[in-house]
Amino acid sequence: MTATPTATKPAPRFVRADGPDKVTGSGRYTADLTLTGALAAKFKYADVTHARITKLDVSAARAMPGVFAVLTQADVPSVKFGPFVQDRTLFADGTVRFEGEIIAAVAAVDAATADRAVAAIVVEYSPLPVVNDIEGALAADSPLVHAEWADYGSILVRDRNDASFASIAKGDVEQGLASSHLVVTSRYVADGCHAAPIEPRAVVAQWEGNKVTIWTSTQVPFDARAGVCETLELPNNRVRIIVPHLGGGFGGKCGFHYEAHVAALARVAKRPVRLVFSRREEFVAPDRRREGIVYEFHTGVDADGRIVARKAWLAIDNGAYTADAGFFSQLAAMHALGPYRIPNALAEAHLVYTNHQPSGSVRAPTAPQTCWALESHTDEVARAIGLDPVAFRTLNAVDTGAEGPSGQTYGEIGVQQCIEAAAAGAGYGNPLPDDEAIGVAIGWWPSFSVPSGAYVKIDGDGSGQIITGAQECGTGAVMTLRQLAADELGMDPEDFELVYQDTSVAPYDMGATGSQTLFNNGRAVVAAAGQIAEQLRNLAADRLEASPADIVLADGTASVAGSPDRGVPIAELAGIAAGGELLIGHGSGMPPGPPPTVGSTCVGDLGMSAWVAPQFSCHAVRVKLDRDTGVARVMHVSAAHDSGTIINPIGAQGQVEGAVLMGIGQALTEGTTYDDQGRQRNAALLEYKLQTAADAPPIAVHFVEINTPDAGPRGAKGLAEAPNVATAAAISNALAQLVGAPVRQLPMTAERVWTALTEQAAQS
Amino acid sequence: MSFTIATTLDDALAALAAGARPVAGGTDLVVGARHGKAPLPEHLVAIDRIAELKTVTETADGVSIGALVSHHQIETHPLLTTAYAGLADGSALVGSPATRHIGTLGGNIMNASPAMDTGAPLAVMLAEVELRSVRGTRRVPIEALWSAPGRTGAEPDELCVAVHIPAPDPRANTAYVRLEYRRAMEIAVVGAAAFVALADDGTIAALRVGLTAVAPTIFTGNLLGQVGRSVADAAAAAAALSMEHSTPISDVRASEAYRRHTVGVMARRAVEAAARRAAGETIAIPVNRAIGIGAAS
Ligand SMILES: Cc1cc2nc3c(=O)[nH]c(=O)nc-3n(C[C@H](O)[C@H](O)[C@H](O)COP(=O)(O)OP(=O)(O)OC[C@H]3O[C@@H](n4cnc5c(N)ncnc54)[C@H](O)[C@@H]3O)c2cc1C
Repeated sequence: MTATPTATKPAPRFVRADGPDKVTGSGRYTADLTLTGALAAKFKYADVTHARITKLDVSAARAMPGVFAVLTQADVPSVKFGPFVQDRTLFADGTVRFEGEIIAAVAAVDAATADRAVAAIVVEYSPLPVVNDIEGALAADSPLVHAEWADYGSILVRDRNDASFASIAKGDVEQGLASSHLVVTSRYVADGCHAAPIEPRAVVAQWEGNKVTIWTSTQVPFDARAGVCETLELPNNRVRIIVPHLGGGFGGKCGFHYEAHVAALARVAKRPVRLVFSRREEFVAPDRRREGIVYEFHTGVDADGRIVARKAWLAIDNGAYTADAGFFSQLAAMHALGPYRIPNALAEAHLVYTNHQPSGSVRAPTAPQTCWALESHTDEVARAIGLDPVAFRTLNAVDTGAEGPSGQTYGEIGVQQCIEAAAAGAGYGNPLPDDEAIGVAIGWWPSFSVPSGAYVKIDGDGSGQIITGAQECGTGAVMTLRQLAADELGMDPEDFELVYQDTSVAPYDMGATGSQTLFNNGRAVVAAAGQIAEQLRNLAADRLEASPADIVLADGTASVAGSPDRGVPIAELAGIAAGGELLIGHGSGMPPGPPPTVGSTCVGDLGMSAWVAPQFSCHAVRVKLDRDTGVARVMHVSAAHDSGTIINPIGAQGQVEGAVLMGIGQALTEGTTYDDQGRQRNAALLEYKLQTAADAPPIAVHFVEINTPDAGPRGAKGLAEAPNVATAAAISNALAQLVGAPVRQLPMTAERVWTALTEQAAQS
Repeated sequence: MSFTIATTLDDALAALAAGARPVAGGTDLVVGARHGKAPLPEHLVAIDRIAELKTVTETADGVSIGALVSHHQIETHPLLTTAYAGLADGSALVGSPATRHIGTLGGNIMNASPAMDTGAPLAVMLAEVELRSVRGTRRVPIEALWSAPGRTGAEPDELCVAVHIPAPDPRANTAYVRLEYRRAMEIAVVGAAAFVALADDGTIAALRVGLTAVAPTIFTGNLLGQVGRSVADAAAAAAALSMEHSTPISDVRASEAYRRHTVGVMARRAVEAAARRAAGETIAIPVNRAIGIGAAS
């Protein structure tokens, strides 16, 4: 007999319950739903970007055969809504402010009839001056996007086109800059871009009596419900939101979108109504586009390269209405200061109304582009003081026990380990061909600590169900809940089915947003499963004549600690419970509160200047440049992340890979361009260039797992957004080496790189 | 509105004579209609089942490629990927694997987009297009076929049945390169094809360059002045002439200045790659992935 070789540890199973449905095509998405008698919905859009409506006549459309409902603002409650500024109505209310604003909605017997009815709607406009430039909008004499801004309800610091001002100040920045050995000043401009999920959104609504059920492709079902209830003036318990499989979101499907329009149509038409977006609508209409930002930085360092002071000024494109972008000014201000030790800091950020599509949370809102700008600037500072970019970051980045730029002192964090691991994984410092370079950037991202709930039950046959308010948008985070419940109960993840994405069945959760599912809903599931664990221990203690405290739940069995042969299968205990007190757990758990800050003041504070369980990352990216054309190609990405404990390694790896590829697109090819009226010029997948599988480089992922205070279950933080933060910045720093100067506009398209190369050649 | 399926060439020609428009793979026609470029024609005849238009035949004077030959057939065909490598370079760049399996050579040519990827290589090879109708058959030099963006000189009842390419000399070959921002699902920002024949001493014996997406139609230049010069000199001259004779537009994909600059780069690279092939070197299909932009490593 030969000795068996040491068995390698089997790769952890990827607990992904929705995988087979999606891969085989048996899964149903919202647009797949058909209800008897369903009508097709279509919207009439403004198409112009700023105008007063002088005439709106829907009578011809209403009179068309096959048309069941035509609605305008006159047909719905007069409610102004918006999470931070109540500046919006369901339909245009006298004035249109961007091309995708909805003037009217039609429900007709089929899509072609609905299209004809939309074409029969008569709208006449009197043009208003278009606000198309972010900085220009802040000028004292700029036309106003909202003449009535002062009358809106809001919790923000506002002034005319400035919809949300926020600042973070610590120490004395002017004094700090004046006393610095040298000061580097930079300007960067990031264009807006898109979430571009593969599934254009769809909404189906059906009334039964005074209750409505809405199937919708949303990332945030409870938020969608809140929007419907607010705008149609309905109580929560008469609106049920169900989300079938979701074909990606990336933040683009956060917020409240067209659920109320479709529900209102269905109520008037007295039939189910179905809305399915075209790709162009998906680009132009939703208030969820990644915001363009203009940046100015001044960083002063001492003779050793230590940061003495940093001043940052930002103008963020809000677009025509304030969606969830209200908090962007404070979040962007944090990203503009960065995860650095800065004794004297001042960041001032303005969220500026323009006549563009409204901005909203897209994967790590404000962070990739702000990290791009700050980290490109950081490399300029390092070069000016003669320090290697990695050495500069090691010297200046925060660390365990250090104080960050807003006065938060960190518990155990892994940013320094990330820098080391990413650089090592990239072979940083090894010689490279003349047309290749490695750029390095660090980034950070908060964990969002919010309320969340779940139920767990185990039926008489020993099979379990997790009934959760959490929403799955493709990250797999909800799938990981099965693993948490199973571990808590000594069962197998496969023993659990998920019941989710139905607001009338499960308790509240914020949704697939803010990388918060595992952090908060994980806590809820652990708490719910914990209640059942206690029930099982009591049942087993009875059966085994032991103390409940000595019962161990493992491998599907409840046994007495120290005597594994004294055990009873959990399924058997479930059978006993089915005849007595049922196995039902409910959980929520208290979300950890915000950490303190010392010595800083924040204007426009929304609680974003101190972060619970912050996540850190460092990306080192090798780029190859075709200097004749400016075409850059990413050859290799080394991504190191401190996101706490990694519970689902395969899922985590997938999150980093996907986010990195999205970051490459943001860096090189994805950017919205506008015409002189503020209309998108590239609202289609041919001209808005996502990266393809053929473009994907090898991506080496390294997790720095440290023991974070106040983290989520088992020390996990979150991972959906953090890996999207630093990629574009690292690419920029590689390109700057190859070009000889930074490319100061994002995306760094081939033509922009070529222009920078041409300018460099002219200077030398 | 009518839709018929032709299984023989005669059926198809009869349908065209009766006013129908042909649809082959539909990757231009149907996709364009869906995007609102032009509505679907009133009467359509599907030609994709006509077996006799799906073959590649080596002839005494070259090769004949049936109009329904797919880009995938071209990019994997032993003869086309060697002696007519520039055409295979073009077909291998089209869209995605799915597009290349469905999209046809005839559709590419007859769609007459100035950004089409097989046009410039076919033009520098002096290919001829065979057009047939119930009235008879004629052959047109391919460059003369395109009259404006989306327009050909074919009569509405004429079907493209084949493309004929003359056999190159033993020391001649072609290459096609395009500027692209990503490695799949792309459209040529600009592109260039070159036909190079080498003399025994390695100097240029013949040089033609064809340009994509820098004028209303694809056009070529016969660079007689480069005969007898070195490949490097000829490539530089081809770059300069390409920049000079292009009339590119500015649009969301690129500015006029950037297109003018990069078409020169593409022309130079096409000449260099075609010359290496003419000298007997094998450069993998497509050149875009083997060297320069979008290269694998
Ligand atoms: C995702 C995608 C990516 C693409 N990428 C590229 C690319 O990279 N490069 C490129 O060049 N093209 C590209 N295309 C365009 C298209 O795939 C090609 O032009 C293809 O070769 C068209 O062939 P088809 O058979 O599909 O043409 P069809 O759409 O069937 O026809 C196109 C036109 O030609 C006419 N026609 C077709 N066959 C004949 C015939 N035998 N005789 C007379 N008229 C005829 C039709 O009436 C129609 O007007 C892409 C298309 C898509 C959808």
